[in-house]
Amino acid sequence: MNVQPDLDFIRYLKTAGGDTMKKCYQCATCSVMCPLSTDENPFPRQEMIWSGWGMKDKLIGDPNVFLCHQCGDCTAYCPRGAKPGDVLGAVRAYAYTALGWPTGLAKLASTAKGLPMLIAIPSVIIFVLWAISGGMVIPTSEDFAKYGYQRFFGYWDFHWLAKNVAFIDFFMLGAVGLAVVGSYKGVTNLWKQMCKREGVNPDFKPSLVQLARDFVWPSIIEIVQHNRFRECGTNRNREIGHKALMWSFIGLFIVTLWSMFANDVLGLWIPSFHGPMTIWNPVKILANVSAIAMIVGCGILWMNRSKSEAEGNITPTFYDWFLIWEIMAVAVTGILAQYLRWAGLITPGYIIYYFHLVTVMMLFMYMPYTKFAHLIYRTTAMTFERYRDSSFVKNPLDK
Amino acid sequence: MDKKICTYICTGCGIGEALDIEALSAVVTGEMSQECKTHACLCGSEGQAFLKQEKKAEGINTFTICACSPRVMQNEFEMGDDCITVRGNLREQVIWTAGDAEEGQEDSHKEWLQETASDYVRMACTRASKTEMPEAYEMESMNKEILVMGGGIAGITAAVEAAKAGSKVTIIEKAAVLGGKANGWVKQFPTSHPYAELEENSIASMIAEAESDSNITIKTSTEVARIGGSPGDFKVTLKAADADSEWDAPAKVGVDEQDLIDKGEKEDPNEGLKPYGEVNEKADTFGAVVLATGWVPADVSEYEHLGYGSNDKVVTNAEFEAMAKNGKLEGINNVAFVMSPGAEEHDEDFPYASSVTSMVALKQAKYVRENNDDAKAYILYQHMRTPGNMELFYKGVQLDDGIFMTKATVTGVEGGTVHAKDTLLGEDLELDVDLVVLAAGMVPTTKDANIINLAYRQGPAFLDLDLFDGYADSHFICFPYETRRTGIYACGGVRKAMNMQETIDDATGAALKAIQAIESADHGVSVHPRSGDKTYPEFFMQRCTQCKRCTEECPFGALDDDEKGTPLPNPSRCRRCGTCMGACPERIIGFKDYNIDLIASMIKSIEVPEDDDDKLRILIFACENDAYPALDMAGMRKHKLNHMIRFIPVRCLGSVNMAWIRDALSAGLDGAMLLGCSYGDDYQCHFVKGSEIASTRMENIGDTLSSLGLEPERVRSESVAITDYDKVADLVNDFVDEIVELGPNPFKGF
Repeated sequence: MNVQPDLDFIRYLKTAGGDTMKKCYQCATCSVMCPLSTDENPFPRQEMIWSGWGMKDKLIGDPNVFLCHQCGDCTAYCPRGAKPGDVLGAVRAYAYTALGWPTGLAKLASTAKGLPMLIAIPSVIIFVLWAISGGMVIPTSEDFAKYGYQRFFGYWDFHWLAKNVAFIDFFMLGAVGLAVVGSYKGVTNLWKQMCKREGVNPDFKPSLVQLARDFVWPSIIEIVQHNRFRECGTNRNREIGHKALMWSFIGLFIVTLWSMFANDVLGLWIPSFHGPMTIWNPVKILANVSAIAMIVGCGILWMNRSKSEAEGNITPTFYDWFLIWEIMAVAVTGILAQYLRWAGLITPGYIIYYFHLVTVMMLFMYMPYTKFAHLIYRTTAMTFERYRDSSFVKNPLDK
Repeated sequence: MDKKICTYICTGCGIGEALDIEALSAVVTGEMSQECKTHACLCGSEGQAFLKQEKKAEGINTFTICACSPRVMQNEFEMGDDCITVRGNLREQVIWTAGDAEEGQEDSHKEWLQETASDYVRMACTRASKTEMPEAYEMESMNKEILVMGGGIAGITAAVEAAKAGSKVTIIEKAAVLGGKANGWVKQFPTSHPYAELEENSIASMIAEAESDSNITIKTSTEVARIGGSPGDFKVTLKAADADSEWDAPAKVGVDEQDLIDKGEKEDPNEGLKPYGEVNEKADTFGAVVLATGWVPADVSEYEHLGYGSNDKVVTNAEFEAMAKNGKLEGINNVAFVMSPGAEEHDEDFPYASSVTSMVALKQAKYVRENNDDAKAYILYQHMRTPGNMELFYKGVQLDDGIFMTKATVTGVEGGTVHAKDTLLGEDLELDVDLVVLAAGMVPTTKDANIINLAYRQGPAFLDLDLFDGYADSHFICFPYETRRTGIYACGGVRKAMNMQETIDDATGAALKAIQAIESADHGVSVHPRSGDKTYPEFFMQRCTQCKRCTEECPFGALDDDEKGTPLPNPSRCRRCGTCMGACPERIIGFKDYNIDLIASMIKSIEVPEDDDDKLRILIFACENDAYPALDMAGMRKHKLNHMIRFIPVRCLGSVNMAWIRDALSAGLDGAMLLGCSYGDDYQCHFVKGSEIASTRMENIGDTLSSLGLEPERVRSESVAITDYDKVADLVNDFVDEIVELGPNPFKGF
């Protein structure tokens, strides 16, 4: 193997949480401590030297990097303070950027320098749409009580598509679409690199059904159950925080789907499906419970991280904090907008609702490039982990 | 001095209960005809007051203390400069090693014990009557100035430290300027916390400090032609560097060689040189010498797979340092440092590497990086050795973005490509580089040259340096700085491949050793390992047969000789081991408190029962340095020793004269053993050669015994380390069993 260390890669990792990685002296305590590392496939000892040697090609197609749940056991027991957990986090951050499409957006989302731009893009888009929609007028308090934020982008008489829905769908579906395309490109790219690295024979491919049934679905079940989080010895309440957060996303996903269906489909025939739901509506209850779970879960992770940073156990990075801030912002603006509606405070309500839209759009749009991308890449890696041990890759007769 | 002897038997520590003290006292007052007193606890304050009172009121000046081992309670039984103290070891070597009586043998066990104790009392009394008061040797002239050979870091430090301690110092340096190798260094290793970054080279300020010190004289472009004399009075002839002088130290010429030269069959290597014994009246006089002549870079061309000499991209670390010093690193942006030349055969570093080459590689990797922010340095090591605070330096270098380290087996260098196997990266490695730097070691200057240029009987160089790969050292671990030549102390690269900080510490130590040697010579006492010993070997020259054994065998070359071969002692060079005494067939060499007659009388004082096969007597000469303390420790642990053994402590096995063995066997003792330090490659002999010489003598005496009709198995030489206390009892008991097997000495009773 001819090695050409990439100094820029090293410098990047050092800014993204890997500032300690060069301290590693390869004792492999991390691989022993890691609850997810196995005898057949130990990590992150080797990932550490690849990082220190700037061997990015080795790392991007390395499923171990994504299998890591960053529990911090390796970091806690590292005798040299090299913080392998943070280094893998930095490698993931780099990989998300490297795998991301479109490249420009991926790069923008990778550093704190891009933050103003990251906020500005959705802010401007929504503000401009708001301005041209003609909805930028303060409604009467009766209208506000009746429609809530449903006429944020104004109202027109076209029965089959509400003006508000049209505008929101326009940029939200646009953002989601971008994220879906970006994710697809990133995931297939990663899959290809992992297959190449593992030396997978392309002649034995599973069908899509097989792939979904035998590899993707079990991985998703495992993710939902948080089995691997539970392995972690150092940082137990991370599991609680992450679980609360995950279920809140699932809850809000259901709420969003229902709202879309109720407003955009059922509402066409049954007008009462339009407008804000009452507080005792089961869907509304689910929404509020999820929102509270989101704040609680995100809060736990926030405090966890602050505490670990204060103790010097982990390195603060933009990559980690951006996702926490963003989710917190989504939850807080959402709940606040609801309270302001109940309180009948029209102007503050509209402004907060505007920010709620901005934060939600950011969450969707930047998903494949920020830490949120672990959603797709870790799932991919866990799927691959099953796949490479299956008889599609390993010849069972070889054992 | 008129001796007034009295024996004091201590009954403490169980001695009184185990032995019949009245009978013991009767041995002293009866057959030994000496006074005897007993006390319940001689080492206690009452006992000490009692002994002081004895000195004051009774005028006793020779105290025979029959109590514990001579290795303990030395201060308690120190009776002053005007008194002699002799010790009899009743505790460790009698009652503590007695063991339990076998059933039905209680009476004979007690009897044996009493016999053993009586013999130790007899030997102590004999020793007391034969010991004379030592008088320190007085030098005719005394010079306390220190000569420092070599003006590098070690030499400068030794000079400055000695000067700070009040000594006058002369530094001689072969080159035209002081500084040595350090002049060529770009930067130096960190010397203070946090030890993470390289420091600016401080050699200039060190030179300035030496130059400004009024106690220090500096002579550059100067070398030593020869050093004669002895500590306190070294006669040093200096000369211009690389010049020839008639005072150059002559090579040693053996007797056979001299014959060939005389017959004209061989060229005289010393043609035109003054004989070693001639004294240069114009020579400078010094009290002691610090040898700090340093090292030269090792040759690495033998490792063909690395391509040094044939591949212009391969240089040594010394050459790379010069390139950096001369600003020739332009365009050198990828550098591989290769630490070990063994390829797949072995994982050792380059010879003469120590930990320094590891640290030099770290330092030079930093040069590469400081030269260009995008440059890369690879360190391929089998061992990364960064002892002490240098671990922090290693950690600091490790953090550099562009420095890459891995354990690796470097299998070859082809052009600009380095091939390595067994790396931490999990794969074989290929590195494209602009330069490959080999971590060549530091060869001590003493490896291939005499350097010290002594005008000594035993030749101009240090002896047996092949035991230490050429390093000027007599025993690195036990006796740092010591060389085989008293008053000459080595430090720095000539002693070990060491870094600057180590060298500074080392040179400070050597300077203190030099001062110590001078003061010891001034007081007429021995230096290490018998520090403070006032006795010295005295020769009864009228009976000398000029056999030259003493001059040949002295491990420290203390004895010169005249043209006839009569030894010329240099007491301040002597370490008082007594190897000369052991060597002398005429038995004319002895110390005031340790000589042929004294030990022979002790042997003869042992009572040898005749016609009793159960009461054989085995004599063991135990070296005071390791064997005797090991026996004491065996006693403390109550390991049983056979009751037929009698121990006599000796200064070194080298001092054991074979006459004593003959005396023992002719007195009817049944076997004799020498128990001393191990010898050979990893010798532990405190006098370097003593135990080796003794074992050779024992082989020879074995032949003599067979010609007398005695079994050669009756005499033996064994080595033990001080840590062998758990094995030593078995060792000596097995020997006794073998003697029992052989039966009594047939000469018994003649």
